[in-house]
Amino acid sequence: MSEELQESAATGGDSREYLTFTLGSEEYGIDILNVQKIRGYDAVTKIANSPAFIKGVINMRGIIVPIIDMRIKFNLGDVEYNQFTVVIILNISGRVIGMVVDGVSDVIAVKDELVRPAPEFGAVLDTEYINGLATIDERMVIMVDIEKLMSSGDMGLVDHYAAGAAG
Amino acid sequence: MSIDMSQFYQVFFEETAEHLANMENLLLNIDIGNPDLEELNAIFRAAHSIKGGAGTFGFTDMAEVTHVLETLLDRLRKQELAPTDEMIDAFLKAGDVLKMQLAAHQDEGDVDEVQVVEVCELLDRLASGEASAEVVASTPDETTSAVEPAVSGHRWLITFRPDETFSADAEALEALFTDLAAMGTLERLSDGSDGCHRLALTGELGAEAIADTFAFVCEPEQVSITPDDGLAPATTAAEADDDAFGVFDGAPGSEHIGEDEQGFGFFDDAPGSERLAEQAHDQEDDGFGLFGGSPGMEQVAEVAEQERAEQAQGYGFFDGAAGTPAAADSPAAPAAAGGSKPPASRTPARAVPGGGGSSGGNGNKKPAAAAAESSIRVSVEKVDQLINLVGELVITHAMLAQSAEVLDPVTNERIFNGLSNLERNSRDLQQAVMSIRMMPISFVFSRFPRVVRDTAANLKKKVELKLIGEDTELDKGLIEKLADPLNHLVRNSIDHGIESPEQRRAAGKPEKGEIILRASHQGGNIVIEISDDGAGLNREKLLAKAAERGIPMAENPSDKEVWQLIFAAGFSTAEKVTDISGRGVGMDVVRRNIEEMNGRVEIESEPGRGTRILIRLPLTLAILDGMSVRVGDEIFIAPLTAILESIQPQTEQLKTVSGKGRVVHVRGEYLPLVVLHEVFHIDARCTRPEEGIVVILESNEGKAALMVDELVAQHQVVIKSLESNYRKIEGVSGATIMGDGRVALILDIDALVRLSQKGA
Repeated sequence: MSEELQESAATGGDSREYLTFTLGSEEYGIDILNVQKIRGYDAVTKIANSPAFIKGVINMRGIIVPIIDMRIKFNLGDVEYNQFTVVIILNISGRVIGMVVDGVSDVIAVKDELVRPAPEFGAVLDTEYINGLATIDERMVIMVDIEKLMSSGDMGLVDHYAAGAAG
Repeated sequence: MSIDMSQFYQVFFEETAEHLANMENLLLNIDIGNPDLEELNAIFRAAHSIKGGAGTFGFTDMAEVTHVLETLLDRLRKQELAPTDEMIDAFLKAGDVLKMQLAAHQDEGDVDEVQVVEVCELLDRLASGEASAEVVASTPDETTSAVEPAVSGHRWLITFRPDETFSADAEALEALFTDLAAMGTLERLSDGSDGCHRLALTGELGAEAIADTFAFVCEPEQVSITPDDGLAPATTAAEADDDAFGVFDGAPGSEHIGEDEQGFGFFDDAPGSERLAEQAHDQEDDGFGLFGGSPGMEQVAEVAEQERAEQAQGYGFFDGAAGTPAAADSPAAPAAAGGSKPPASRTPARAVPGGGGSSGGNGNKKPAAAAAESSIRVSVEKVDQLINLVGELVITHAMLAQSAEVLDPVTNERIFNGLSNLERNSRDLQQAVMSIRMMPISFVFSRFPRVVRDTAANLKKKVELKLIGEDTELDKGLIEKLADPLNHLVRNSIDHGIESPEQRRAAGKPEKGEIILRASHQGGNIVIEISDDGAGLNREKLLAKAAERGIPMAENPSDKEVWQLIFAAGFSTAEKVTDISGRGVGMDVVRRNIEEMNGRVEIESEPGRGTRILIRLPLTLAILDGMSVRVGDEIFIAPLTAILESIQPQTEQLKTVSGKGRVVHVRGEYLPLVVLHEVFHIDARCTRPEEGIVVILESNEGKAALMVDELVAQHQVVIKSLESNYRKIEGVSGATIMGDGRVALILDIDALVRLSQKGA
């Protein structure tokens, strides 16, 4: 499904739609085509001997989905789980992954030329996973290459980096 | 006509594999002395279907091999040649070559051209063994004989000069004419007063079939059969067949497909007559003809054009009249009548040479059609999706039932009744859906007669194979994974188990060894047994070998422990390495494969009496019988097959070894204690073993005691993969969804025991 959408989006013009979310004080944007849905945080089943930012797995309509907490991954202070905690369910090349963030802000259309390359600087994310920066209503949004980030070795979500990239 | 054929390749591959397996099976069962004509025909049909498919899809190499194969088979089934062992071997080899070619087309291997040529030459030599002129059209050049009768709706001119005795016998003559009339429309052009009967027969039969009819009453020289002028000479068709092989737009290609036993009817066309094509487009609502082909003949192309224009919204995408345009002039009544289902009219025509008449042809078609109707080909993914959805339904029901528990059963009787109905129905549904994945084990077993035959011949041993319980059903996924381990075990039994005929005679046993493959259900398991009446395992030799390789053994090991040695990697007691076994790889692979399927292997052996290997497998990969256990807030599932018993240990049963490794003393055995909350780093409610429960488990690392907080319940759980969205977790084999919708992890007992040993 996401492939079809991607195709139509690619032919539709130079502008892409992004879902923006906040992590700490920074605002991030990810390609909306990678987003399957947004849901609240439920009880998870913990996975033994996994890093702290991997909260566990949940059942989403019969599929076992791992949940990672980006706030823990990037050390963004206190982590609370309440009725406002948001999980973005991502579909990264067929793999379904849930990502806990501080909040979901908006869906914005950004023209490709407005995304400028990011300088080497100290965002919580490695610049390797950043596509660029865009300014929306005076706010800076960091455009994340979510596919690359999630299939990277740091996240430990897949057995091999190559497997994630290929799959 | 350009169409992407690749989408049909998979179907072809699957079907061809089935046909090959079928062929092999039949070949192995054939009784050389007294071959069953029906079986020979079945083999021929299988070969023919492969040839047709291969030709259509452009796999000319396969078509060539099957073609040679067919030539010999054709002569066999016409009883011109008697089958010999050599032929059967040649057929089996040809089958192997085809398998190799098939694999190569699926990008899974290379073709050994030398072997291909060898087999073809062998078959050719066998086929040309004794040429016989008995049947008019059976020239060694098989192309003509196969294709000659292919044009349907032919009008044949028959000149028959019976000898005097026969012509005097009016009754016999009448009977002959009745026979002919049964084959088509018979016109008597002259009454035979001059000693010569001139007849015209119009029908879908070939010259051969007609000649066959005459063969019963007279010498072939007395009959001459010629196609009526205005009809295409048979040779034209034959040439077309040769030239256009392989590419999809050829009449012959589609013709073969038309005969496809599966009877999909995708590739129907009307190679016979233009009349047929007209019919087809008149009846385009029937829409069978998806792929015809036009061999480039103008008239036909015109018709096809016209058709395409007319049936823009019809089903028949590629109807074409592939036949010889000349045939259009013929009345062609029987063939045209079959316009909506050309394959039916084609098959009898092709099958006639062997069947000895039209009834034979019909007989061939019927079982195939019935088989096509009674089964459908569905991708495993679709079935898995169904299984998933049904699993969800069961979970949803459990959630509903949980919510309904707070209601008053008296006032809400109807809800409770509804819920219990729902439960029953969804359980039935689940079972029904699971049964879709079940296949009889004969799918694996059927290859073994061949394996045994070849291996035994190779080793110059005499072995008989008995198959028992071939109908036992198990999950398709298991069947596929079972093939390799079983293959290994059977070959091992022949190589190491069964002795040479001399040794057997010396030991007072019959020269012919026996291997039994038996499958049966036992409880929720399937048990597969491979037993031989050979020499059995040699305890001393195994122990010596273990010592040599430095494998630690207990002081006085039980037989069972000794037998398990053969599963150690690199372990082989064979004095010499043969190409069949003895390299020491294999048995450890067998065990690993079986364990991957949540199964286990047991060995029983008695010196001089034989060895019995038992494989225990769960019925399906998708469902597991499990015990849910609680540790802290987490629920885990332990596979029931691994659980021996559960106990609440007393303090005196717990011992420590060198201060840290803890063991539990149960029934005289000291079992290592695996503390789940320590292995998984969970905050447990019970930290001391005597507060919790220990579950005694049987693992491949030996028995172990797993400590948990409490036992919850016994469930049947649907196994879900963690790896599809995450990665493998050590100590966990999968996950499942519990009645409340939460995820529970399924424990991998062997890995847990290993993990715990590593930690200790």
